[in-house]
Formats: sequence, C-alpha cells, structure tokens
Amino acid sequence: VIWGVVQFPGSCDERDALAAAGRTGEARLLWHGDGELGDVDGVIVPGGFSYGDYLRAGAIARFSPLMEAVSEFAGRGGPVLGICNGFQVLCEAGLLPGALLVNEGVRFVCRQVELVVESNRSPFAAELQQGERLSIPVKHGEGRYFAPDDLLDELEALGQVALRYAPGQNPNGSVRDIAAVTNEAGNVFGLMPHPEHAVDGLTGSTDGLKLFEGAAKAMA
Amino acid sequence: MVELEAESADDLPALCEKLLANPLIEDFEIETIE
Repeated sequence: VIWGVVQFPGSCDERDALAAAGRTGEARLLWHGDGELGDVDGVIVPGGFSYGDYLRAGAIARFSPLMEAVSEFAGRGGPVLGICNGFQVLCEAGLLPGALLVNEGVRFVCRQVELVVESNRSPFAAELQQGERLSIPVKHGEGRYFAPDDLLDELEALGQVALRYAPGQNPNGSVRDIAAVTNEAGNVFGLMPHPEHAVDGLTGSTDGLKLFEGAAKAMA
Repeated sequence: MVELEAESADDLPALCEKLLANPLIEDFEIETIE
C-alpha cells in the first residue's frame, strides 16, 4: 500500500501523517505544485495552515494543481483522508459536504477529546465498531462543522456522519456534535481531530491508527 | 470587506463566487466606486 501525503506551503502535520500512514505501508510526500499523484493508493491531506489560510481556511489550497489530481482520484473511488486543515480544504473543494467555521468560543482549542463512532461504512472506519469510543486530540481555531439542517438530515440518513464528539466533549460548537463526515460514496473522509497524533501509546492513545489500518486493508 | 482596484467590475461576481465567498456560509455584495 502506498500513501501520498499532500504538502502545501503552511502544512505542518505532514511529517506526523507520513509517520502514521507509514505504519500501514509506504508513505511519501506530494508537493502541492505537482499535477500528478503518481502510483499512490491513498491520499492524505494533512493539517496545518495551507497558504497561510489568510482568506479562509482551505480557500486557496483548493486551487492548487495537486488538488485537481486529488479530485480526479477521489472521483475514481480512491481513498482520501482530510485531517483538520485537510478537512477544510476538502470541504472548500466540494469533495466533502459542509463547511468549517471559527470555533464557537473564538479560541484555539488543543486537547484530547472523546469521539463516538456513528457510521463505519467508509473504508477509513472499517476497523471501527458503531458506538465505539475513541480518544484522539484536536487542535484548531476553525473547527466548528456547519451545514444546513436539510443537508445534515440527508448526511445522517445516508450514514455520512462518521464520528461525533462524545456528550460534553464538543470543543468547537460543531452542529449535532459532528466531528467527521464522508462523501456519499464513503471514500473521502474528513475530520477535525488528528488521528495521526494518536498512533503511539507513548503519546496516550493508539485509536487514530485504526483509521489508517482500515483504509490500508481496503486498499490492499 | 475587500477593496480592489480593477479595470472592470465584470469579473467580480465570478471572483467572489469562486474565491472570496463560500456560498454555504457567506454572502457577498459588490459596490463599485468610480
């Protein structure tokens, strides 16, 4: 299995994403200015502050040459994981539904949170059980998931809400406690928590590794 | 608010739709000052 990890100017979690994905296969960096993904089996759009996020998180990155290739790859059913800023980029690119707004508390939050698995129909959630609780850290200033009520109803009905913050754990005011969503096909998965920071017991949790393992098994 | 100097205002709606505004969470108005 070969993972490609996208690097934009301003990305800052690409090394941890490489290390996490590298536990389940080969992982290599993909530069934002390149127009091709090469022979990767899965793509990770990592966290950070792409192009500085000065306009709106992910708004510029979605126009990078590599994102065209990522869109085509996702359209062919290729697995794509967006983490934090990567989630914002995928929403801006229209690969995932909804948008991420400034946290309800208007403060950057950095803490471990408990998540509940809502749906495991995506390959990234294939190793998770519905109702299972995960402990994964968040660190963001613009992580408040938003979508109109009719779209939220549709996402829930189709099983596109993959993870919710556990009761009392919502760190940013996300609607309906949503922490992760997928596209309709399930191959594109975005979340604000950082699974790449939860792959080694020395840092407190290995729950994040399950997302990489699930997708890697599907790719293999 | 974003202030731009432009030869023509014709391209501004497309610019706002593609780049400056996410229609899911934002709206925009264009005011032209000669």
